[in-house]
Amino acid sequence: MSDALVSVLTALADDELVLGHRHSEWTGFAPHIEEDVAFSSIAQDEIGHAGAYYSLLAEIQGVDADSLALGRGKSMYRHAILCERSNGDWAYTLARHWLYDHADEIRLESLEDSSHPGLVSLARKIRREERYHLLHADAWITRVAHGPIEGRRKLVDVVAGAFVEASGLFEPFELEDPAVKEGILPVPSPELQQRFETKMIKAFDELGFPTEAPAHAEDRAEFVASSSGDLIAGEGNGERTAPVQAGLGGRRGHHTEEFDGLWDDMTITYRNNPGATW
Amino acid sequence: MVSDTTTLEVEIWNALAGVPDPEIPAVSVVDMGMVGSVDVEGSTARIVMLPTFTGCPAIDVILKDVRAAVGMVPAIDSVTVSTSFDPPWTTERITEEGRVKLKEFGLAPPTGQGPVLITQIGLPEVSICPFCGSRNTHNENPFGPTPCRALYYCDDCRNPFEQFKPV
Repeated sequence: MSDALVSVLTALADDELVLGHRHSEWTGFAPHIEEDVAFSSIAQDEIGHAGAYYSLLAEIQGVDADSLALGRGKSMYRHAILCERSNGDWAYTLARHWLYDHADEIRLESLEDSSHPGLVSLARKIRREERYHLLHADAWITRVAHGPIEGRRKLVDVVAGAFVEASGLFEPFELEDPAVKEGILPVPSPELQQRFETKMIKAFDELGFPTEAPAHAEDRAEFVASSSGDLIAGEGNGERTAPVQAGLGGRRGHHTEEFDGLWDDMTITYRNNPGATW
Repeated sequence: MVSDTTTLEVEIWNALAGVPDPEIPAVSVVDMGMVGSVDVEGSTARIVMLPTFTGCPAIDVILKDVRAAVGMVPAIDSVTVSTSFDPPWTTERITEEGRVKLKEFGLAPPTGQGPVLITQIGLPEVSICPFCGSRNTHNENPFGPTPCRALYYCDDCRNPFEQFKPV
């Protein structure tokens, strides 16, 4: 058993579980019925992927997968902060869905060469299913970006801030160095982040999106990416002292208040009836 | 009583052919290509199942049904059923017979032959209505009631139908 493997699998599983849970919150509330179905189905996929990662972990650790998914305290979760953010409006939901699924594609592609065979077969399988999420996200982002001005403006308002927070998906895992040394991670996280940023900045340029967050989005972004990919200080964060780059900390178990409600909701059944089957 | 292993394996495959996909009861787990391997040692059978979609909630029911069906084979005393993602289940694994049954069930089978490359995964350019055979159809939603299905509408016979997603 490798502690580094446990660390990597936990973060991968937690990302999928928490974002899957956020997506599921659209069930019954999406702007129209087809998207209600789509987000419910995407949520089911993501939670299923989380389940597969937790099962692998459970096998390694000799514990029960449900106890890993639902039996931990908040600070034990290692998902990126981007995943726990409230859905906000439809524009934020789409922006995060788009950024997350492109990041996940880059990550899964690299994991196909992992030294751990169980992780390799899982990455291969999951990556094939995730194609449909990518197609869905790309279609929506293109549609809204080229659509009426109101929708485009709403998207522009949130997409750069979400892009900054997406860097949390590539925050090095705990035990990143041994994970790289053991070949569990064939590509170190900072290198994957560069691949992601290069790809997304190109997409931003093609869509005519600014990569700088607008000033009123300062609650989401203290630092923003310039089009060259360097991180620069965003506007409107003058009073903040020692700013931490937005979106980081999740991989070390630091979460925002937005995770509190999600965690309560997600784990209440398990906490009331540990070991229940349903 | 000693059974010949090959005969026993055939009996097990026959038993598996009687296990329906709980979400698409018209097809069996064999039609769907979900049986990864069957191994027999003495009176012990080991079955490996390949989940169609990772998050498919039907998998627990399928494992239970497979265990029960194989357990009914007279020469088998113990059955182990497990899942694997190696090789990954792909729509290429659905048998010809399975494709015919899907169509009769009102679910357009995945089109195309051979392995689907990762970059080719996506909805087919044209989906053929399983009810009237028309190609005059359109996609209403790339997602549907289960992870493996997309929603379509036939502009000729005016029926909604589902398309099995190539993966």
